[in-house]
Amino acid sequence: MKKKMIGIALIAAMALSVTACGNTNNESSTTAEAPETTAADTTAAADSETEAEKTEAEVKTDALAPGDDDAAGFTEYPIFEDEEVGFLNVSAVYFQPVPMSGGNENTEDFNIHLEADVSALENNLGFGVGDWVPYMTVDYKIIASSGDTAAEGSFMVMSASDGPHYGANVKLPDADTYSIEFTFHSPEENGYLLHTDAETGPGGSFEEYFKDGNLKVTYEGWDYVPQEW
Amino acid sequence: MLKYFVMTCEALLTAAILTGACMGYASAHYRKTGKPIVLIGALLGVLGAGVMAFLKNATKLIDTSLWNMRNFIAAAIILVLFFVASALRRPLKTAGEYIPPCLLALLPALVIFYALPDVLAYPYVILLTEKSVLSTNFLLKTIGIILGICMCLLVVVAVYHGMRRMRNPFGFVFLTLLLLANTARQVTAVLRIMLTKRMIASNHTLFAIAKFSSNHENWFTFAAILIALVIPVILLIQNAKITETYHNPAEHRKLRKKQRMARTWSGVIMACMVFSILNLTGIKAYANREIELSPVEDSLIEDGNVVVTFEQVEDGHLHRFAYTSDDGVKIRFIVIKKPNSSAYGIGLDACDICGETGYYEKDGQVVCNLCDVVMNINTIGFKGGCNPIVIPYNISNGKIYVPIDGLLEYEKEFK
Repeated sequence: MKKKMIGIALIAAMALSVTACGNTNNESSTTAEAPETTAADTTAAADSETEAEKTEAEVKTDALAPGDDDAAGFTEYPIFEDEEVGFLNVSAVYFQPVPMSGGNENTEDFNIHLEADVSALENNLGFGVGDWVPYMTVDYKIIASSGDTAAEGSFMVMSASDGPHYGANVKLPDADTYSIEFTFHSPEENGYLLHTDAETGPGGSFEEYFKDGNLKVTYEGWDYVPQEW
Repeated sequence: MLKYFVMTCEALLTAAILTGACMGYASAHYRKTGKPIVLIGALLGVLGAGVMAFLKNATKLIDTSLWNMRNFIAAAIILVLFFVASALRRPLKTAGEYIPPCLLALLPALVIFYALPDVLAYPYVILLTEKSVLSTNFLLKTIGIILGICMCLLVVVAVYHGMRRMRNPFGFVFLTLLLLANTARQVTAVLRIMLTKRMIASNHTLFAIAKFSSNHENWFTFAAILIALVIPVILLIQNAKITETYHNPAEHRKLRKKQRMARTWSGVIMACMVFSILNLTGIKAYANREIELSPVEDSLIEDGNVVVTFEQVEDGHLHRFAYTSDDGVKIRFIVIKKPNSSAYGIGLDACDICGETGYYEKDGQVVCNLCDVVMNINTIGFKGGCNPIVIPYNISNGKIYVPIDGLLEYEKEFK
């Protein structure tokens, strides 16, 4: 009888846990507080926040392309959100490795697709606030808790169903607390020009933002665990 | 081929051991109903895995992590129910002969439903890069997958025969150990999924558990292998000599045959498990070994240029050269004569995306050493994607001149 009671209690506990999980899953997004973050600009006179701050980050299902109404979308996992550096607002997310055009179809040797979502803040370069900023070379570096570099490279420029972004498939097989560093080169390096006359020019220059070198965002404390996609 | 053989075995081995153990236990302890019920469960798992593989790769409907979490929680509940139903077998009378094996059958069904879809999807993943089912690479990799599945089927059969010959209480003990090892893996996986999806707030302890279990996930597979390795040892001890009484030579011969069969299957299990350990350690390391780049070839330095003669590179193969900077950094670049052309593809032996990993030649194609992307030889020397970083060069008098200043700009790419 005792065994039976224990069994029933165990089943009830498990059933409750399933119900709880089910409730969470029914929502398309789950809000949780991200760990303390440090955004530091080490090479440029950027207005990145240097003090630790709390950011709200959501695991969210991304918007779908118009007309794609039979799908559930893909889930983006945030690393950090809305770090500001120079005229850039930067967020980092990751999700499953994706095949890309141009001979980049291989996904089997990668663990994640890392993405830097970059939009313009108030600026005098002609970009509307919230616009994607093109023509930049964006380098990424992921540093393990041991101090070793776990992955590094330059992002490619691409479009997904939610628009253009800088991203790359990255091999990151080990769970760890990583630091992640994005370095933004001036669009001018890749031949992006600005009108300079008073009548049609936006009034500013890239030198204003890049006079001390590239812009850099560093985020420490990314608790990462590989997923099965 | 070898890589896919290892990947398939790694993905399916735990499921194979568990399926064989459940089937063998059910066959021995629920003689009338056990074996067919568990077999049906396993087949349902295979069927479900086929549907899941299709949905995962052909639609956007599946969130794999969520499905895995549901699967693991269901498995934990069913495991508890199985133990309760087994304890109540006698009071349940006729139902007691059906309910426990039915619950037991759901466990291999769920573990197959979890493990098999990825293996079934391997050909689809291979096709993303190989493009054609008629390519040699696709064929070889598919053979690797098929051999891996055959290996795991052999494990199912061997463990089944071992478990059904195991006398009590060992059968129940080994089944329980295997199921608990699998449940431990699933519990840590659920924790990881919940942390990643932020269903639960993370803290240092939870993340430490998630990190440890993720970085040592193969320990659970090795635990299952080690538990399965004890089965033949117990079987050999139990069948060292005939202890049952017999009344005539025919009965004696029957007992001796039973003894021989137990020894045979013990050997098969042992061979399978030892091979599995080798497979997941040495063979896996060999299959995933880094490809060694061809050596740097000699070149001349003239007037601030690295000079390569046409004769050195006119064979149409990939050639690697380097300039060593004052800091001792070897800045490598590649040269390949383009097919059906007198032009040369020249670029750094590194790309923006994969860094200094380099390129190698395979079957007449140039391949990135890190991401396996096959380059279009005609586009080497052009910017973009995983192409070699473009470097300045001049061609005159049958020689290629690569300015050292141009190479030094990329010194930081090579550490």
